[in-house]
Amino acid sequence: MSKLNVPRRSLMIGGAALALAPAAAFASSSPDVGKPAPQFTAVDSNGKSWSLADLKGKVVVLETTNHDCPYVRKHYTSNNMQDQQREAAAKGVVWLTVASSATGEQGHVTATQANDLTKSRNAAPAAVLIDPQSKVARAYGATVTPHMYIIDANGILVYKGGIDSIPSSSAADIPKATQYVRVALDQVLAGKPVADASTRAYGCSLKYPKTSS
Amino acid sequence: MTRLLVLLFVLLAGPAFAQAVVTTDNVRSELVSEVATVKPGEPFWVGLRQTIRPKWHTYWKNPGDSGLPTEITWKLPEGAKADPIVWPAPTLFEIGGITNYGFKDESVLLVRITPPADLAGPLTLAADANWLVCEDVCIPEEGKFELVLPSGNAVAPAPPATRTLFEQARRAVPTASPWPARYGLSKAGDPTLLVEARGLKPDAISDVYFFPAEWGPIATMARQNASITADGIRVPLKKGDAKTALPADLAGTLVLTEKTADGNVRQAFDLSARLDPAFVPAATASLANAVGAEQLSLVQALLFALLGGLILNLMPCVFPVLAMKAAAFARLAGHERSEMRRDGLAYTAGVLASFAIMAGIVIAIRSSVGEVNWGFQFQSPVFSLLIAYLFFVVGLNLSGVFEVGSRLAGVGQGLASRGGTTGAFFTGVLAVIVATPCTAPFMAAALGFALSQPAPATIAVLLAMGLGLALPYLALSMTPALQRLMPRPGPWMDRLRQFLAFPMFASAVWMIWVLTQQTGADGVLYALGGMILIAFAIWLLRIGSGASAATWLRRGLAAASVLLAFAATLKLDDSPATAASASGGPAAGVSFEGWERFSRARMAEAVAAGKPVFVDFTAAWCITCLVNERVALETPGSRKAFEQAGVVKLKGDWTNRDAEITGVLKELGRAGVPLYLFWAPGADRPKILPQVLTESLILSELSSIQQAKR
Repeated sequence: MSKLNVPRRSLMIGGAALALAPAAAFASSSPDVGKPAPQFTAVDSNGKSWSLADLKGKVVVLETTNHDCPYVRKHYTSNNMQDQQREAAAKGVVWLTVASSATGEQGHVTATQANDLTKSRNAAPAAVLIDPQSKVARAYGATVTPHMYIIDANGILVYKGGIDSIPSSSAADIPKATQYVRVALDQVLAGKPVADASTRAYGCSLKYPKTSS
Repeated sequence: MTRLLVLLFVLLAGPAFAQAVVTTDNVRSELVSEVATVKPGEPFWVGLRQTIRPKWHTYWKNPGDSGLPTEITWKLPEGAKADPIVWPAPTLFEIGGITNYGFKDESVLLVRITPPADLAGPLTLAADANWLVCEDVCIPEEGKFELVLPSGNAVAPAPPATRTLFEQARRAVPTASPWPARYGLSKAGDPTLLVEARGLKPDAISDVYFFPAEWGPIATMARQNASITADGIRVPLKKGDAKTALPADLAGTLVLTEKTADGNVRQAFDLSARLDPAFVPAATASLANAVGAEQLSLVQALLFALLGGLILNLMPCVFPVLAMKAAAFARLAGHERSEMRRDGLAYTAGVLASFAIMAGIVIAIRSSVGEVNWGFQFQSPVFSLLIAYLFFVVGLNLSGVFEVGSRLAGVGQGLASRGGTTGAFFTGVLAVIVATPCTAPFMAAALGFALSQPAPATIAVLLAMGLGLALPYLALSMTPALQRLMPRPGPWMDRLRQFLAFPMFASAVWMIWVLTQQTGADGVLYALGGMILIAFAIWLLRIGSGASAATWLRRGLAAASVLLAFAATLKLDDSPATAASASGGPAAGVSFEGWERFSRARMAEAVAAGKPVFVDFTAAWCITCLVNERVALETPGSRKAFEQAGVVKLKGDWTNRDAEITGVLKELGRAGVPLYLFWAPGADRPKILPQVLTESLILSELSSIQQAKR
């Protein structure tokens, strides 16, 4: 009946052959919480270069963005994002907004456009990093906008996931949702472990360069 | 009167507020009901039918890396109830490295509604639905729907077109998995799903993918290199981002495509796999992943084939050949370098030529695949037995029971023992002959991949594998630096040769084990008996020499022994049916409950008697057959209808290639199962039903004969 029985041993032998398979061929994998955060260097909308290594000793927040994405708009039109940026700045946290949409894709911005957006939305990040090749996003395995990351003063990734707990495009849900980033930042600054350290990020898919996929 | 009022209500009030159809920029949505009139308290189905703009997609309950599932919020009269959405099987989308699970073109989200038991007058179903629709960019859309259905003492069905829509929608919903499933964690914490569907045919199944039901435990993966093994369908997964431990039960939808005689059929199964602590999968994927391997690019495939070929050198059965060659090489030491180079090249040529021939065979088999019924020669117990014999004889030769060059050693070795370039060439051939069976199942999977490719790619992949096999020796013959590392010839070479007999015997033992898996315990009897006969024949031939009458007698006896040993293979071929009992049988065998066993005579008799006859040709390894039985043939409705119509139900089990059934299939121009025949009473020929059945199709076939009777 079962005429083809592939003996396990042969699979092991086959396995040896594939042990060398290029894992890198698969889609971006995200870094683990509790491990050192991936390093990056990027230039902001004012031409200043930012490197994670230089930020040691400070708590850093990364926020991927695409201003045309309805989910990003949800948190900017409601001022939720700006409020949290201000709160973080007041506590000495470095909040980096990362514009990772590839050139030609939705949400791609020039430095001038990024500054205009900051002004028109009354946003208050420490800087807007211009990431047209999606390098920062790829290093962190970001899949959506907004995708949020918190890196502690020792350079350890302590949070990754969504901005809050209700995945919807409706701003009316914001007051009802747990604001994961705000809660996690408080815990990090209080020297406590982050309770919800990895949550589901929701939003528009990150607009990676098409050719590289 | 009531009805007229309802009509007025629908016409006047309905469109003013909300409507059954909502057209947004990218989706046309319609709330449809399977019934035209509802009966108080009796549940019925509605569907949100969404026609999605080409190239755009909406999302499944687990949307994957990004996106959001479609949501429906119901506003129902008091006492009415709406169940959660019953989702169709999702499709995988990969855009810019981001993987999503969702729907394209059209989806119908089914919801069961229970009207209040005390419903008086029409039932108003109001719903707010919102969905995210994406191409490159994502747009959240929403709609307010309202559907007003009159109520009555009996349910009245919707028009046929709507009922067909629901029929199709149900077909798109995954069925409950007919097989149990479990999952284990590798040392790294990555889960591997094992769906215990035993006895499937790996080359007939492709595009296996497991959609986890929710975010968290499993990473959303673009690729899952599933494999079909003796244990079932194995899907290696990656743990997800949720920090919590993996759940005791992992739920999701398994989707696969089965190649049947009439084309490809996509099947989806809902399953829940329990965590099995005893199951610890190896961390690595395997080359036997012919299913997932289809996604390999040709360059990757060639690279893996080359690697695979290299690894063949380490196989216990090839290693002795290589060692023999190395020993011969050591003897050559000090000879002209050009001679060594020629030797190495000749060996490589021998290997490549053998692989080219194999490629030719593969292509020939593919071109006549209908006749080999998707099966492959490597599955044949006869083949396994012959290879076990070969290993045994080579082992005897290595341990010195008889010498290379004797007539029994076979042409390959005879030629291989010749000196010079010809000898080297045939050593290459021998290496392939020995390597191939030793790795038969492994090769079967690799060939499975090769089979799915166009002919030039098939040849390229196999040649790459051959090159890999020949590479170490070729490198040795080309590099003087490596040659200097070779030990000097001496008595150690004989000892090594004798030692190498043991891996050879081990390989023979392994082949016999493979045979047991194919045939059951009887296989061991035939194989070991055959080996004794072969050893006996060799012993006979070694006694004395010359042309005396006694010598001839011994030769005759030896020939008889060998013939007897090979007769065992015929015996094996006769009894493939024992296979199932031996390996424990597949989890889901063919059930004959309520069915008669098919025979041509029984069919002819029933047809001649003017009875309606339904014939189901099935096999335990045919997933489509299994699904058809569950969703169409063995439903209570179909069973009742079969009974009422007095249908003679015959089932032909083709799991083990029954000759009579093969004959019938051939007559009907079919290469395999599923095949469904329906003889209406008095018909002179059967109607061939589609290979994907639905209950309504069966019911309509049966009702057509009922009507004809009246």
